[in-house]
Amino acid sequence: MPVEVIMPKVDMDMASGKIMSWHVAVGQPVAKGDPLFDIETDKAAMEVESPADGMLYHPAPEGTEIQIGQPCAWLYAEGEEVGDQPAAFGAAAAEPAPPPEPVAAVEPVRELAFTAEPALEKPRATPRARRLASEAGRDLTSFVGTGPRGRVQADDVLQALAPAPSAGFTAETGPLSITRSKGGEGTPIVLIHGFASDATSWAPLETHLRHRPVIRIDLPSHGKSPKLRIRCFADLVKEVRAAVDDLHLDAAHLVGHSLGGAVALALADTRPRKIASLTLIAPGGLGPEIDGAALTGLCNATRVESLAPWLRRLAADESLITDGYARLAMASRNDPALRHAQAALADVLFPDGTQAFDLRAALDRVDMPTRIIWGKRDAIIPWSHALRAPGKVALHLFDGLGHMPQIEAPDEVGKIIRSLV
Amino acid sequence: MNAQTETNSRELTYSEAIREAMDIALGNDERVILMGEDIGVYGGAFGVTGDLVEKYGTDRVMDTPISELGGAGVAVGAALTGLRPIFEFQFSDFATLGMEQIVNQAAKLRFMLGGAVSVPVVMRFPAGSGTGAAAQHSQSLEAWTAHVPGLKVVQPSTPEDAKGLLLAALEDPDPVMIYEHKLLYKMKGPVPAGHYTTPIGKAAIRREGRDVSIVATAIMVHKALEAAETLAREGIDAEVIDLRTIRPIDRDTVLASVRKTGRLICVYEGVKTLGVGAEVSAMVAESDAFDFLDAPIVRLGGAECPIPYNPQLEKAVVPQVPDILDAARGLTKGRI
Amino acid sequence: MPELPDNVPYAIRTYSPERLRDAFLKMHLIRKFEEGAENSYTRGLIHGTMHLSIGQEASAVGACMSLTDEDKITSTHRGHGHCVAKGADVEKMFAEFFGKETGYCKGRGGSMHIADPSKGNLGANGIVGGGLPIAVGAALSAKRLGTGAVTVCFFGDGANNEGAFHEALNMAAVWKLPVVFVCENNKYGMSTSIERSTAVKRISDRAAAYAMPGVTVDGNDFSAVTEAVDQAVAHARAGEGPGLVETLTYRWRGHSKSDRNRYRTKEEIADWQSRDPIVAMARLLVDHHIVSEDEIAAVEAEATTIIENAIAAASAAPDPKVEEATRDVYTALILDEGTPA
Repeated sequence: MPVEVIMPKVDMDMASGKIMSWHVAVGQPVAKGDPLFDIETDKAAMEVESPADGMLYHPAPEGTEIQIGQPCAWLYAEGEEVGDQPAAFGAAAAEPAPPPEPVAAVEPVRELAFTAEPALEKPRATPRARRLASEAGRDLTSFVGTGPRGRVQADDVLQALAPAPSAGFTAETGPLSITRSKGGEGTPIVLIHGFASDATSWAPLETHLRHRPVIRIDLPSHGKSPKLRIRCFADLVKEVRAAVDDLHLDAAHLVGHSLGGAVALALADTRPRKIASLTLIAPGGLGPEIDGAALTGLCNATRVESLAPWLRRLAADESLITDGYARLAMASRNDPALRHAQAALADVLFPDGTQAFDLRAALDRVDMPTRIIWGKRDAIIPWSHALRAPGKVALHLFDGLGHMPQIEAPDEVGKIIRSLV
Repeated sequence: MNAQTETNSRELTYSEAIREAMDIALGNDERVILMGEDIGVYGGAFGVTGDLVEKYGTDRVMDTPISELGGAGVAVGAALTGLRPIFEFQFSDFATLGMEQIVNQAAKLRFMLGGAVSVPVVMRFPAGSGTGAAAQHSQSLEAWTAHVPGLKVVQPSTPEDAKGLLLAALEDPDPVMIYEHKLLYKMKGPVPAGHYTTPIGKAAIRREGRDVSIVATAIMVHKALEAAETLAREGIDAEVIDLRTIRPIDRDTVLASVRKTGRLICVYEGVKTLGVGAEVSAMVAESDAFDFLDAPIVRLGGAECPIPYNPQLEKAVVPQVPDILDAARGLTKGRI
Repeated sequence: MPELPDNVPYAIRTYSPERLRDAFLKMHLIRKFEEGAENSYTRGLIHGTMHLSIGQEASAVGACMSLTDEDKITSTHRGHGHCVAKGADVEKMFAEFFGKETGYCKGRGGSMHIADPSKGNLGANGIVGGGLPIAVGAALSAKRLGTGAVTVCFFGDGANNEGAFHEALNMAAVWKLPVVFVCENNKYGMSTSIERSTAVKRISDRAAAYAMPGVTVDGNDFSAVTEAVDQAVAHARAGEGPGLVETLTYRWRGHSKSDRNRYRTKEEIADWQSRDPIVAMARLLVDHHIVSEDEIAAVEAEATTIIENAIAAASAAPDPKVEEATRDVYTALILDEGTPA
C-alpha cells in the first residue's frame, strides 16, 4: 500500500493549501523528513517534509488547491507496483470549507475527496482566458490570476505568453545575479536589497561583516538581474528561492532590507531549516501602508534632479544624500527598461500605494533567531509595523534613523548582526 | 450615410422626424392612414401628428374613440385588406388593452393562415419614464411584444432613425411595433430630407471601442454614449451599440463586438429580469462569442417595481449614467 | 325573373332555382362535413378539438347569399359552415382539419383558423370577439379604397359581451362603414345561457346603442336569414352604414368534443332538432317547386359523395415538413432568427 501524502494544516483557520512546487521528481526516492513540497496558503508559503521513505508518484499538479487532510501525492515502497492514482486529489471548494474535524487517523477520510467540487480542480478563469490558454497549448494552472478570487483573466494569459510591448520593457529570463565577497569563514550571510536599489547598496554595512562570506542577490529587474515578468509577490519569492536553492548552502544567515526583508521572511518561512538567522531591516509585509508617491517618484525619475528629492526621503538625515550619491544612484538607473520593469513590479506589489502582501503570519511562524531593525523616522514604511512582531523576535528601534539604517548607521546595524552571526 | 444625406440633412426633433416620415408616407401612398386617439386637431398627446389632419383630412388622419382593443383591431383588419395603417397608442401602457389584437391576431394571422395573408400594420408606442406620469403611463413593455413571433419591434434612438425606421416599417409586409421614448421627442438631430429607410433588424455602432461593449436601447443609447465619454478620459474605451431593433435582433453586430472587447454590458429601461438584456446575454452565452468573454456579463435594467411618481424615485429605478460607469469600471478592472 | 307575389318567401322571390339548389347543397355539405369531422374524430384521426355547427346551416348559408368573392367575411371558432357558405373547397378544409400541407393553412391553423382570402373569407378565429374589430378594419379598407365591398362579420351570442363587440360596433357606426354584424345566437356561450349572461332580451336590441338597425330572425329559416342579411348588406353597400342581424339558432352538438351537455335538457335538444333547418329548406324548395322530392335525395347523396371523396383525398395528403415548422411567421424576415432546435 502506498503512503498517502496529505495537505497538512499549518494554520488555525486554514482550509486548503496550494501546491507550489515539488522538491522531488516523479519516481525519485525521498527520505522521511526530507523536504518534499512547498505549499502556499492565503497567509503564507512553507515547506512540507516527507511523511515516509519512498518513491514519489501521482503528485498533484503545481498550482492545485488541496483541502487539508486530503491526499496530494503517494509514496511507494521500493519494488512496489505503481498502478493508477489510488484516489482523487482533495481539491478545495471555492468558498473556504468549514474547518474539518482534526484528522487523527492515518487513513484520511476518503469521501471528502469525492464531495469536493470536481469542477474546481480547474482554476477559475474567464472564457477568453481559457480560450487563449488552450490556443497556446498551455495549462491554465500555469497562469497567475489577478481577477476576483484569483480568476485568471485574458490579460494574465496574454502577458504571460507575450509581454505587452506597452509595458516599456521586454521580459527577460535567466537566473538572478549573485555576487560574493572575498574571504570570510563559516555560515555565509545572504543579503537581499530593497526596492529600486541593488546589491551595491550593502557596501557600507559589509565592512562590518567581513568575518563571514557574504552573498548578495540582485532582485529581479534590479541591478544585474534579468528583468523578469513578476505577477505577484509569490512569484518574486519563487525567483529568489530558486536562486538561494541553487547556491546549495547547508545554512545561511539571511539579511533583507525593505522589500528584500519581506522576501527574506517569506524565504525563511519556506526553508526554515536552512536559515540560521534572520535579520529584517525596515521590512515590508507587516502592514498595508507604504509611501506610494516615493515609489512612483523613484521609478519615474529620469535625471538626478528628480531622483534626489525622493532619495532624501529615504534617510532621516538628508545631508547623507549628497549630490554625488544621487548622481551615482541615477547612473545605475539610466536604463529606461530597468525603470519600466521596476514600475511594473511596483504596480504588482504596491498597487495604489498599498503593500499587497501580508507576511505577519509568517513572522509568527519562523523559529530561527530573528530580529527587526527599524528607524523611527522611516518615511517610507511606518516603523510601528515592527510592533506586530511576536515576543520571540528582537526589535532594534532607532530614534534618529530613517528607512535605511544599514546606510544611515552601518556600524550600529553591523554590531547587531554580528552579535548573532 | 449616403451623399444625399450629407447635403440635405437638417436638424429636426425626434417628433418632427416622425411627423415628416408620416407626411411623406401619406403623400406618397393613398393606402396609408393614421389612426389613434386625439391625433387629429389635437395633434396627438405628444404633438407628434401635429397638423397633418389639416393637410390630409379626417378620413386619413382618423381620431378613434378611446377604444384601444377595437382601434388596434380595426388597424389589423384594414392592413389585412389593403390599407397601410399607422396606429398610435396614446401611451404604450394603453396597448395592454389592445394586446389581444396585437398578439393573437396581427402576429399570428399570416402563420395561422399558412402564409395566405400579410398584416402590414405599423403601431407606435410612446414609452418610457421620466415624465412624472407614474406607473400606468411610464412603462417600457417592448419586451412583451418582442416575445411574440410574427411581430417586429424597433426602438429608434435618434431623429434620423425615428424617420427611417418608420418609413421602413411602412414598406415592411409584416406588423412592426415602434417604441418611441417620450423623453426623446424633443431631442434634436440631423435628419436627411426626403424618403429614406433605416433597415429593420440592423443595429448601429454609435461609438467604436476596444474595452467593453455597451449594448443599449432607446434613451439608454444616449446615457451609454455619455458614460463612454467619461470612461474614455479614464482610459476605458467603450463600444456603444444601439440595438435599434429588438426583434429580429442583430445578433451578428453584438457578437462581433463582444468578440472584440470581451466584456458586455446591456442597458435598457424595461424591467431588468426577462427582458432585452436576458436575450442579449443569452445570445452571447450560447454563441462562440462566449469564449471571448473576459468578465461576467452585466445587465442594467429597470428595478423590479412599477415606475414611481416621486422624481428621485423615478430616476432611481431606471439605469443612469453612473450605473453604466460603475459597471464598466468594474468589468475592465476585473473586479466583477 | 318574373315578379312573384309578396306572400312567396323572400328567398324564392329573389334567387334563381340554380342558386337555391346550390344553397341547399351547401347546407348539406356543411352537415356532412361536420358529421364527417365528428366521425374522423371518433376514429382518432383528429389531433385537436372541433366546434361543430350542425343545426346552424341555414344561418351560415343564408347570410352569404348576396355576397360576392369581393365581399369579406370574418368567422368564429364555429366556422366550418361559414367557410362552405363562402365557397370553400371541402377537400382543402378537410386537409387543414387533418393538419395536412395541402390544407387551407398548410396544416398550421387547423379547425379554428380555416380561411380562404381568395374567396373573401378572412378566416375563422379562436378568440371570442377577435374577428369583430378586424371586420370593421376590412370595411374601412373597402370604404377608403372604394371597392364597394361589404364585410359580413359572424359572431356568436357569447361575443356580444366582449368589449371588442361594443368597440367595433361603435366605430363602424361612427365611421358609417359597410359592415354587417351577424350574431348567430345559439343560446349558449359554452355552458352559460344567454339569459344568464346577457342583460338585454334580444342581442339585436344592442344595435340601438350604436345607432344602427338591428333585427332578430329565425336562424333556422333560410329565407328569413337571407332577407334580413341581404337588406343589411344592401344598406351597407349603399353607404348607409352598418347593421346588426341576430339569427336565433341552435347547435345540436356540444360546445366542443369535451362538452358533456350538463347545462341543457334532452327535451330542449330534441325540440330544436325537430326544427331542422335542412328539413325546412327541403320543404321550402319542394313546396315552391324549385326541386322535386327525388332531387332532394339526390342533392344529399351528392353532398355525401363530395364529402367522402374529400375525406379520402385529404387523408392521403402529405403532412407538412417538420423542418418547415417556422415558415410563414414573417412575410419577409430581414435577419435569420434561426430554426428551432
